[in-house]
Amino acid sequence: MIEALTLVLASSVRLALPLAFAACGEYIAERSGTINISIEAMMLGGAFSAVFGASITGSAATGLICGVLAGLLVGFVHANFSHRLTVNTYVVGLTLNLLVLGLTSFLLDLVVLRPSQVAVFAVPLLSDLPVIGPALFAQRWPAYLLWPLLPAIWYAMYRTRWGLQMRASGENPSAVDASGIDVNRRRREGLLLCGLLSGLGGAYLAVGEVGMFNQNMTSGRGYVVIAAVIFGAWTLRGAMAGCLVFGAADAMRLALPALGVQLNPQLLVASPYILALLAMVLFARSNRSPSALGKPFARGLP
Amino acid sequence: MRPELLGASPVHGEAAPAVELQGITKRYGTTIACDDVHLSVASGEIHGLLGQNGAGKSTLVKILLGLVSRDAGQILLHGRPTEIPDPFAAAELGLAMVHQHFSLVNELTVWENVTLGDTGRPDADATCELVRSIGERYGLVVDPLARVEDLSTGQRQRVEIIKCLRRDPGILILDEPTSVLTLSDSRELFSVLRRVAQDEQRTVILISHKLDEILNATDRVTIMRSGRVVAQRRTSEVDERELAREMVGRELSKWVAASALGNLDALVDPALSKDPAMFTAVRPVEDRPAVRMRIDSAVASRDGRPLLQGLTLELRAGEILGLAGIEGNGQHAIGDLLSSLLPLDSGEVRVDGVPVPAGRPGAMHHAGIGVIPEDRHQSGCVLDMSVAENLVLSAVPSVSRRGFVSRRRMRERAEELIERFEIATPSPDTPMRDLSGGNQQKVVLARELSQQPKILVAAYPTRGLDVGAIEYMTEQLHEASRAGIGVLLISTELEEILTLSHRIAVIHRGAVVGEMPRMDVDIERLGMLMGGQQA
Repeated sequence: MIEALTLVLASSVRLALPLAFAACGEYIAERSGTINISIEAMMLGGAFSAVFGASITGSAATGLICGVLAGLLVGFVHANFSHRLTVNTYVVGLTLNLLVLGLTSFLLDLVVLRPSQVAVFAVPLLSDLPVIGPALFAQRWPAYLLWPLLPAIWYAMYRTRWGLQMRASGENPSAVDASGIDVNRRRREGLLLCGLLSGLGGAYLAVGEVGMFNQNMTSGRGYVVIAAVIFGAWTLRGAMAGCLVFGAADAMRLALPALGVQLNPQLLVASPYILALLAMVLFARSNRSPSALGKPFARGLP
Repeated sequence: MRPELLGASPVHGEAAPAVELQGITKRYGTTIACDDVHLSVASGEIHGLLGQNGAGKSTLVKILLGLVSRDAGQILLHGRPTEIPDPFAAAELGLAMVHQHFSLVNELTVWENVTLGDTGRPDADATCELVRSIGERYGLVVDPLARVEDLSTGQRQRVEIIKCLRRDPGILILDEPTSVLTLSDSRELFSVLRRVAQDEQRTVILISHKLDEILNATDRVTIMRSGRVVAQRRTSEVDERELAREMVGRELSKWVAASALGNLDALVDPALSKDPAMFTAVRPVEDRPAVRMRIDSAVASRDGRPLLQGLTLELRAGEILGLAGIEGNGQHAIGDLLSSLLPLDSGEVRVDGVPVPAGRPGAMHHAGIGVIPEDRHQSGCVLDMSVAENLVLSAVPSVSRRGFVSRRRMRERAEELIERFEIATPSPDTPMRDLSGGNQQKVVLARELSQQPKILVAAYPTRGLDVGAIEYMTEQLHEASRAGIGVLLISTELEEILTLSHRIAVIHRGAVVGEMPRMDVDIERLGMLMGGQQA
């Protein structure tokens, strides 16, 4: 029993990690007022570029950087379309999602990708802890980036002037504008950071967990990340908890048959998404989202 | 900039005026918001900018603050031509504004709001200390650690003013500052302004459409009408009558002037009750006619925030009941409730004794409740549809057969209503967007009254209208009440309430906290009730 628990927990954390990186980015973007649905494109683009970069250079770590850059590129396009040219952010997001899905599928046929994976780094002693040891201290090395990342993001959002302006932009952009702050610039920065972190999430999925790229490999994980941020009531801590919940659902999907539980396989495959849907329905109403979330800001008369 | 300001002698001084606008012009499409405006404000004075809604006052100060760019003209600060490209530049030049709708971020704390426009690392302790010390100096007490959403409107305005004063501005601009304040909060505000102007030689520009505010609080006044400056006067040398005439452009009876232009004192002057216009307006309704509508202990909330908390209200046939209160105390919820937009957690609404299911679409309408919504652009009409279509919007079955609308019958009906309600429109097919605000409101009124409702809910029916349109609406609502319709008037403007109502009820925190007949109105008591004090 303990063995099974250890296994499921380790696999939950493993599956939650790509979501967690992306959720950090989505959290920043949403707090500044953008519901960033192109996060799917950021993750998918990140995943492909990571494996592509690793195949060319032969270094998985370089691949990781390529993934980050791809996410950043998607973020840059989205940011300029929706917060400079004020094109509807959902139209931009959907277009980007379709574009990147098509592009990566197309390129997959053109280029030869070689499997590539970053190394596991087991923290001495700690990784031998019962139950939580393998889950927390025996991951592939980029996973440990999350540890400094979380407090850094919290500090940036709650202790710096930039963070104050970001949060205020998501709540009352006109007030922020009247204070002489460029709202759309803050929102573009939010999207760029989201692209950077989501690209890392996608790259981690590809060269961290799987070691390879397949067509549509993120398969809706971006939307699950959006659900996780809603689940977490737009707090960083809550979003991380949401990622863990969805990671656990994914892990159960893999573990239940192995543990001998018989369930409809289609239902199992769908379970994380059903959970995400439920979370959105249940939590979207009761939690207070940023007041100006999803509302474009244009200067001028109110 | 500071020493220079201190050196300038107030009002009579020979020094260059603190602010001088020359030939400012601004067009929005074909409408001219400001037309060759000249304005000069001296250091150390409180300068009133008076005008009706749409006269161009707000646009003018937005230009001054760098929020709107001008088409022509020049801005001089202390005699020097100055460019103000954005709000940041305005702040640098010592211009600060208290906005009409608070520009505070509700989810942040007071100190976070105060420090929002600064640069450098935010310092919680220093900012809190700053908020406290400014609060002490001007008598603006507020807890720097409180969240803005938990504050009352009066407290929010204090935060807004602290936000301005901490920048040590030479020029402080207030845009309709009392529209959301109680009477006592307003008085407190004016004493703060007096201190700011007299003791510290700052310049204050006060934008208002209320005569008594201008008369009581300012040293000089500039009057604007349709985008032009029509007069500039020393406040001590004018009376309200002259101000009203300049503002409206024609002579008004004292009663109309008082009601339409915001002169509370005149409205409760006992001498006025001999005025026949006033007497028919506020006469008590005789021998208690039947109760048309009863809202009984209504409780409602949205997203966990209470909106109505046990509100009870009775509306009789042929009376106009004015529901007075400070903005944000449940007026909006009452409007939503009676438009079937808000379900009740408990309590009920009865029309002629029959319970009406709250929140079911169309139920209130079918029960005979007509609503003139508070925002006619958003929920009152469809701007891109024609006048005729808007006029039949809630009575489509009467002009259609088997699901097809008869254009001929729609046109006939529209023409009949246009004539009856004197709607000025080139044709029934003109888009609603092209009508003036007053005529748009007439369309909404015509549509609702043509349904022969038992009850008419009028939310802020004269907001943003010019004096002629206000007179018309007043007449029509009285007419409706004489025809036996129970009229519920929802408004935050006491002038509107006092002009129209037979009976006044006060709403505070989602409940009716007191009521009085219009004839025996007591402004002090009304103000205390609105502020939530027992009276």
